[in-house]
Amino acid sequence: MKNYYRRSYAYALSFALFLTYNSPLLSQNQPQKTISGIITDADGPLSGVNVQVKNTARGSISDLDGRYSVSASANDMLVFTYVGYKLREVAVGTASIMNVVMEVDAQALDAVVINAGYYKVSDREKTGSIARVTAEEIERQPVSNPLAALQGRMAGVNIVQTTGVPGGGFSVRIRGRNSIRADGSEPLYIVDGIPYPSQSLGNTEVSNVMGQAQSPLNGISPTDIESIEVLKDADATAIYGSRGANGVVLITTKKGKVGKTTLTLGTTTGVGSVTRRMDLLNTEQYLAMRREAFANDGISEYPANAYDINGTWNQTRYTDWQEVLLGNTAYYNTLEASITGGSINNQFLVKGSHRKETTVFPGNFDYKKNSLLSSYTHTTEDQKLRLRVTGNYVSDNNRLPTTAFVHPAVNLPPNAPALYNENGELNWENSTFSNPLAQLAANYRSQSSTLLGNGNITYTLFKGFSVSANLGYNEIHLEESNTNPNTVYDPAFGLGSEYSSITANTAKRSSWIVEPQLEYEYQFGKMGFSILAGTTFQSETRFGRTQYAMGFTSNNLIYDLSSATDHIILSNKEDEYRYNAVYGRINLNWESKYILNLTGRRDGSSRFGPGKRFANFGAVGAAWLFGDEEFIKEGLPFLSFGKIRGSYGSSGNDQIGNYGYLNSYIGTGTSYQGIPTLQPANLYNPDYGWETNRKMELALELGFLKDRINLTTAFYRNRSSSQLVGIPLPGTTGFPSIQANLDATVENRGLEIELNTVNLKNENLTWTTTAQLTVPRNKLISFPNLEGSTYANQFVVGEPLDLALLLNYTGVDPQTGLYTFEDYDGDGNISFPNDLKKPVRVGVDYYGSLTNTITYKNLSFDFLLQYVKQTGYNFQYTSAPAGFMANQPTEVLDHWQQPGDQGFNQQFTAGFNEDAYVAYSYHSYSSAVVSDASFLRLKNVSLSYTIPKTALGVGCRIYGLAQNLFTITDFIGMDPETQSLGQLPPLRVMSLGVELSI
Amino acid sequence: MKKLIKKYKTKSVSIIIFTLALSLWSCEDFIEVDTPNYLIGNDVLYTDAKTVEAAMLSIYAKLRDNTLLTGDAQGLSTLLGQYADEFDYYSPYGLPEEQFNKNALLASNTSVAQIWDGSYNQIYAANAILEGVKVPYFSQEEIAQFSGESLFIRGLVHFYLVTLYGDVPYIKTTNYLLNQEAHRDKVVDVYQYIIEDLETARTLLPPNESSGERVRPDQKTAAALLARVYLYSQNWEKAAAMASLVIENTSWETNPENVFLKESPSIIWQLQPEFDGRNTLEAGNFIFETAPPPTRALTPSLVNAFEQGDLRKEHWIGTVTDGTQSWYYPFKYKHQAGEPTNAEYSIILRLAEQYLIRAEARVHMGDLSAAQSDINLIRTRAGLAPTNANGNEELQNAIMQERRVELFSEHGHRFFDLKRTGSIDNVLGNIKPGWNGDDILFPIPQKDLLLNPNLQPQNPGY
Repeated sequence: MKNYYRRSYAYALSFALFLTYNSPLLSQNQPQKTISGIITDADGPLSGVNVQVKNTARGSISDLDGRYSVSASANDMLVFTYVGYKLREVAVGTASIMNVVMEVDAQALDAVVINAGYYKVSDREKTGSIARVTAEEIERQPVSNPLAALQGRMAGVNIVQTTGVPGGGFSVRIRGRNSIRADGSEPLYIVDGIPYPSQSLGNTEVSNVMGQAQSPLNGISPTDIESIEVLKDADATAIYGSRGANGVVLITTKKGKVGKTTLTLGTTTGVGSVTRRMDLLNTEQYLAMRREAFANDGISEYPANAYDINGTWNQTRYTDWQEVLLGNTAYYNTLEASITGGSINNQFLVKGSHRKETTVFPGNFDYKKNSLLSSYTHTTEDQKLRLRVTGNYVSDNNRLPTTAFVHPAVNLPPNAPALYNENGELNWENSTFSNPLAQLAANYRSQSSTLLGNGNITYTLFKGFSVSANLGYNEIHLEESNTNPNTVYDPAFGLGSEYSSITANTAKRSSWIVEPQLEYEYQFGKMGFSILAGTTFQSETRFGRTQYAMGFTSNNLIYDLSSATDHIILSNKEDEYRYNAVYGRINLNWESKYILNLTGRRDGSSRFGPGKRFANFGAVGAAWLFGDEEFIKEGLPFLSFGKIRGSYGSSGNDQIGNYGYLNSYIGTGTSYQGIPTLQPANLYNPDYGWETNRKMELALELGFLKDRINLTTAFYRNRSSSQLVGIPLPGTTGFPSIQANLDATVENRGLEIELNTVNLKNENLTWTTTAQLTVPRNKLISFPNLEGSTYANQFVVGEPLDLALLLNYTGVDPQTGLYTFEDYDGDGNISFPNDLKKPVRVGVDYYGSLTNTITYKNLSFDFLLQYVKQTGYNFQYTSAPAGFMANQPTEVLDHWQQPGDQGFNQQFTAGFNEDAYVAYSYHSYSSAVVSDASFLRLKNVSLSYTIPKTALGVGCRIYGLAQNLFTITDFIGMDPETQSLGQLPPLRVMSLGVELSI
Repeated sequence: MKKLIKKYKTKSVSIIIFTLALSLWSCEDFIEVDTPNYLIGNDVLYTDAKTVEAAMLSIYAKLRDNTLLTGDAQGLSTLLGQYADEFDYYSPYGLPEEQFNKNALLASNTSVAQIWDGSYNQIYAANAILEGVKVPYFSQEEIAQFSGESLFIRGLVHFYLVTLYGDVPYIKTTNYLLNQEAHRDKVVDVYQYIIEDLETARTLLPPNESSGERVRPDQKTAAALLARVYLYSQNWEKAAAMASLVIENTSWETNPENVFLKESPSIIWQLQPEFDGRNTLEAGNFIFETAPPPTRALTPSLVNAFEQGDLRKEHWIGTVTDGTQSWYYPFKYKHQAGEPTNAEYSIILRLAEQYLIRAEARVHMGDLSAAQSDINLIRTRAGLAPTNANGNEELQNAIMQERRVELFSEHGHRFFDLKRTGSIDNVLGNIKPGWNGDDILFPIPQKDLLLNPNLQPQNPGY
């Protein structure tokens, strides 16, 4: 969120004042008449607009319906001013009704009207903590997932990309991990007022190329988004009650704008490549490692399967497998067209877009996304009834291999054989080489379509009192499949297409919501009241079926499940979730200086057992705009804005599976004696209830030097108690966990600092900077009877949740050349779990970003630097022992060779020295595999040039965008963000685009 | 204001009433959901023998597909074959199986945890049925059948657990509050519980399995398992008695080529493949056609252990050669997936073992000639001359040798035999560099020690 525009609000205001007070009263003699009309903006009626007869002291203010009336003569000029909007002057002439459309002045802070979900609030008067990213910032990024567009742009919002594969997922943590369980910290997504699922419909086993299920937010196209607001504190989230504990992400799609009908066409094209590769051994270094390993193990005759070194494979070959398997260029193309326009009473928008991206893998794979957004707003002549309908349809189509190739790219010996033989066929090197390209025959395909429809009707009964209803429908279909044709195997195995198989997942989710709402606003002297009450009915059904089929007469038929000889339905589930709530808000506003905001919600959810279904949530928020106090204005003239705000309240979390309270059996998907079998579904617990999260926040917002410098500092403390978790159980119970409330409290504290400055501002040149810093702290503050619980060896009271208890690595023994570890229990052995006592933090220390925007005439340049200070699992967490038939990073060259040496790596072993193998096994559970994973990344760069409108009235903008341009890190591994050696790192993308508006 | 209100009174009142009416809906009713289509409540399941049957069968399906007895790489046939001296490891580095081959198990090994978790999950399912089948919904016959099968399963799974992990909790309830803090029972006690369960099962189970395919346990199955349990607990008389009981009621397959076909009369209990033409997981897992082998191969020492002319070597071992070197795989099961019908099922208990159990028991009981005749029956089928072993020790060695070549790659017999006869350190210590005396027990899975401190201490050496 960038609010460095506030200074021009001051200009506008002072200009209006100037006009008001310095005018000779010339027009007094003309006959007066009453002029009336309605003032609107793109969203509808605008209340509080100052209407002034130019050069007079006469004026009026528009009411809640945007109506005004003022007396003026035909020669007069009416001046319309409103904080955050462009000043408008209109000559009276013969008109007696003058309807005026006000245009937002993007350069003004108070124009920043923030969507708080059920209500809107100006940035100036908000009592809660709400971060915002606008279309302008989203469009600067060549990304296909809206979450990607938020990375590094919001304080307190940590978004980590988990794979560079198109369609893959993100981990989103708003103000830290609240829940003891690893999942259940997802925020609530709301798109145009409709809850949007945070859980994917995908099946992890089908989409294993991504390492997880595909991102549910694929169903939204970033360029369709007008703004994304993230609600963080109790004041903002309590109105979402049970679902607000992890923060709320509000996505608002683009709407039609009042004005001439405009057609906008845009296209971009770009290229992408992997951000970071590992520095691996070359053939010479690799073979030297292998020889040394065998020598260390006392093996002089190389085993039959040591093909790399026993003479089977050519030892002079060298292949950079990262280049071959991950080094291709991904191509990006987007095409967009939109038409928007409208009058005061009717506005529309139709927008279509197409996006295609290919992958860095060999072979033909791509991800396509088409979206259609339409929005229509109608207001009746009397401005009583307002109707808005939005329809959003997105279909995407993903074709990928079933593996991300990172593993072979890193592990294949550099002298492994050629991929193809002379005949152009896959080379299996006489069955000694498991050719990675064979995997290209195994495909992941997914096709999904998302329909989001919503309508909002608002009817103003009388002044200040309106009734509205928000209606929404959301339907998502997903078809995904994962094939495993026989051709992925060495033909020497003699497996025909009767061994080809497919796993296919069909899923559908449909959900409807109805939210009737009453709203009343009243100004009583200096006190403004605003009251809102509403109720929610929501129902969601989710259906999923996963099937496995094997045995095809031909691989061409592999997508036709009916052509398979064997079929297994692995799961076939239909879930229903029902949710009901009443919510309300009372806002008291004294002179826009003292603001009190009370919100609350009573929630009921079908996820809980009878008697445990309802709970109450609420919050109080307050703000004092002390900058507007006279004594501050006089005493601290350099302070142009000052506000203290704070909030306290509760919200909840019901992100658990459905039906955990039922004692039941479930199908296994397998049969015996021809009978489909049933197994106990889970350990059941009828007694679990709501998890509550108490949030506290205190923030100071300051503006200096006519708001050229703005500083927001927020401190938050969230405490989650009555933790709803799948309490892990020992295997002797028959199940891994049971759903229950845990009497433990987790605290997330943190400091968020955001600084916006206008460094330069003149007619041609503007330079603004935004800097953000988030310092999150996570701590388990209480856990009664932790010692006696199943978490005894996982958590420590007073320590963060992201703690790993590991062996304490104490270096390479100079004598034996083996890794050594601390023997905590002193029994002379390294034993599990008794010696797993070293607490090591694996997580984020702090993170921040720096954005600069420089505009010179029609040229605009913008870049974002992201910095994350953290620790993570390095490559040694999962890599093979150095000396095995697998390539290694050059780090292992620093290793033990003879008594007296130490080094990064222990002595090389080919697996025949049991002590070395065991030491290696321990090492991967030791503190050595956690190391610094901090990084500085040039996340985004954009350069755009707007060609001034030609005579034809065609606007044109040319721009270049880049994402993840470079990364500086000491991380030992592939990428510090994804960390895992199984996942494709994020891609570096550069693209060029043109936009025409007619 | 008053005017305004009046003007809109009718409309507003009606709208407000409508809104309020909607709010009144906000009650328990709206958020009431039905039991979903894929769940069946225990209250419904335990009223119908058909649904209990489906619950019972899931245990056999899991034994076949998931842990302990499965023929795929997660089962004991593979893992204990690697752990002892039956298999050499050829897969890429890093599979859990590799730690078995190197006798370098860590308490965090995923297969060690899977065996543990999967076993107790099956025990839970058996206990749930034991607790669930009650009058008046079920007849006495139905209760006997389901309870007998459940007790058999509970005994069988605990038997493997105690032989792998040593002292283990014997779980007799579904109550997780008790089970989550279970203590380890002493090995002797566990054996006692196993015997109690199996003896009770033997009285409850039907004399003959109803399908005729021997795919579910009957009295003979329980007796056959009891023979083994008594043998392992060195109760020679009872071992011999139980084995005799089985032998008297089972025909002997004389053709080594037919021993593993599903119709073979000497089969006591086998697990039916999931669907027609699937055949056994063992075949798919063991058979390979390329040289060198992609995953694992029989050790040369096992292949060389066969006497000259042993038909079992000819029929039960497959060979792949690259021209200079040969590799071998278990070829007991020859039929793979993709065939029109199932020719073979996965055999869990078969008659040859019963003869060898009785032979061993008879040696300990001093009845050497009867022991010789039991051994010779098996040798004859293999095309070998009668044994010339004489005397107690020679005969014991002959039985061990016969067990090695008869029962190889079947659920870890080799490992268990070496272990219970005390010869394991001598045998494996000489050929496996990673072997040490503590390896006779698996580690208790690390996560379980962490979650339930009552399982402490860890087995020695881990």
